[in-house]
Amino acid sequence: MFGQLVVSGLAVGACYALIAIAMVIIYKTSEVLNFAQGEMAMISTFIAFTLLETHQVPFPYALALTFLFAILLAVFFELVFLRQAKDPTVLGLIIITLGFEMVLMGFVGWKWGPDQRALPFPVSNIEAYNFYGLIISKINFWTLIVSLVLMFILFLFFRYTKLGIAMRATQQNQLAARVMGIRTKWIFSFTWALSSMVGAVAGMLIAALGVLDPPMMMDPLLKGFASGVLGGMTSLPGAALGGALLGVIENLFGGYVSLSFKSVVAFAIIVLMLCIKPSGLLAKHYVKKV
Amino acid sequence: MVHRTLALLGSSFFFILSMVTLASSQPVRGVTDTEILVGQWGPQTGPGAPWGAVARGSGLLFKIVNQEGGIHGRKIKYSIRDDAYQPAKTKAIAKEFVDQIGVFAVIGGVGTGTGMAVRDYLMENKVPWFGPVSGARNWTHPFQKYLFALYPLYDDEAYNLTDLLHSKMGFKKIAMFYQNDDFGKQGLEGVERYLKDKEIDLVAQVSAEVTDRDLSSHVLKLKKSGAEAVIMLVMPVHAALILSEAAKIGFKAQWATSNTLCDSALMMQITKGSWVGVVNSFFSELPDSNHPLMVKYRKWQKQLEPQERWGLFYYAGIGFAEPFVEGVRRAGRNLTPDSWVKAMETLKDWQGIGVPVTYGPMERQGGKHVFYGKVRPDGSCEKLTDWIRITK
Repeated sequence: MFGQLVVSGLAVGACYALIAIAMVIIYKTSEVLNFAQGEMAMISTFIAFTLLETHQVPFPYALALTFLFAILLAVFFELVFLRQAKDPTVLGLIIITLGFEMVLMGFVGWKWGPDQRALPFPVSNIEAYNFYGLIISKINFWTLIVSLVLMFILFLFFRYTKLGIAMRATQQNQLAARVMGIRTKWIFSFTWALSSMVGAVAGMLIAALGVLDPPMMMDPLLKGFASGVLGGMTSLPGAALGGALLGVIENLFGGYVSLSFKSVVAFAIIVLMLCIKPSGLLAKHYVKKV
Repeated sequence: MVHRTLALLGSSFFFILSMVTLASSQPVRGVTDTEILVGQWGPQTGPGAPWGAVARGSGLLFKIVNQEGGIHGRKIKYSIRDDAYQPAKTKAIAKEFVDQIGVFAVIGGVGTGTGMAVRDYLMENKVPWFGPVSGARNWTHPFQKYLFALYPLYDDEAYNLTDLLHSKMGFKKIAMFYQNDDFGKQGLEGVERYLKDKEIDLVAQVSAEVTDRDLSSHVLKLKKSGAEAVIMLVMPVHAALILSEAAKIGFKAQWATSNTLCDSALMMQITKGSWVGVVNSFFSELPDSNHPLMVKYRKWQKQLEPQERWGLFYYAGIGFAEPFVEGVRRAGRNLTPDSWVKAMETLKDWQGIGVPVTYGPMERQGGKHVFYGKVRPDGSCEKLTDWIRITK
């Protein structure tokens, strides 16, 4: 049972990690906590559902079109709402993301209705692999693989590409980055687009693991946020580690201590981390930019 | 002298008559010469949203009643509100119904927690409330004059479902998967009561919170218990998740559930077919039933609400409003909360498309029957029993 709990925990933790990474990408650049992250992922997943189910678009094309939608949605939000905010404070921008979250939730409820649906997905959520007695379902296995590959690509992107380095520079000192010729406004839009794409992957995996419906991201978003706090809100590897740890801790707690309090673990972790190490496991101590 | 006496008597007569007329024309909240105002809340968004179809189904019945000329010259004006399955929102809606819209009655309303948040408020304001969409005991205990329950009790339903699994289907190791609130807990009580009567242990009891989305550790506990049959009293999303998790780890059991998950078409869709073989209890006719009322309602639905899916949760809303409408009919033109209550108390074994209902001066639990069915591979249901009385 222990091994099974760890494996299931890692799979769900991989989804938390992706949401945490999506949040961290934006937080690192703009210090904004994007509370619309969950709903942006959810609406992208509904787009994927419509393409796959209603229009019978082959999966790779549906995936590409979903990413395109996720990018456009994020850029639209950044350009039309966030950039237009007058004398924006970080708190003000966070409130805008909360408002956008509600708009998206309402729109999806109106457009697709409240019924739960099954997302057509190329990997079965019933069939399983058996590794020496340890059963891991195909969907859990591929969730882990996809998440790890995506994290690795992001790592390479931020470390070795010009654009990634420009994003890091913008995060460290906006003014200096601008002086060095980096188009910081463009970078902000790109940051939102990248985050939205990562969120869309998380949304599709979460829908494939369970069901697709408007509130499907409420719980994962909170857990993703908790993962970010656990690993460090300014550290991408930290967010990944936080997600994996949270998934496993939660599952072990549910399996051996109490199922009723399983959901509370994430919030207990947030409180504990903020008391003991506010910067998170892998992030450096937070210093306010001046 | 005689004239003076006659004049005095005459004026006294007209005075008394005018007083009586004045008293009887005191406005009744939500009832005008041409309209009866009623309201219902239901989750149109949030995790309980599939059950929100109930409120829309009731709306169809009211439209049909209006199309057929209304009741005693009055049309029904229906207000529907989304509480997202959140008691705080239900409270606000109840206040709006009573203080702003001024409804005559409240119909249905999905949820135990949501209903309990407003029960006392509605009763203090003497608002007739027919058929909370929940099988909790809270509607009839303590007795409330203006509250008529319809839904078969979760407790008794779970008791009988356990009996079906144990004595009729032969399962010895039974586990329970339930929502951690009054809805699930009252079902758990019924299961435990039956097993205690038979001196058998419940092999596992596993609960889920409304917001839970990861049930992998829940299913591992069920598997570890060695359960042959699992009774679940949960939301559709949790039922879908637990079946999916069970399939992932190869846990095979006979799954059984109450009528809260009886929309097999929906369940088949969201479980990608894993719903086949589930044993269900039902409180309404099956979707393809040839019952004359079902034929009539299906026809009207195609005409008036073609965008709606003819699912069990949707037309259950009709079943939850039918006895109310019958009560309004029986109350006559002089419709007041008290005349409606008196009329409702005359319903004896009255049946529309839902459970047979009986009320009386001290009887407020109308629905006491269910029937059982098993889901076929094509998503339709095979009727296992006829209507069975589950509450003594």
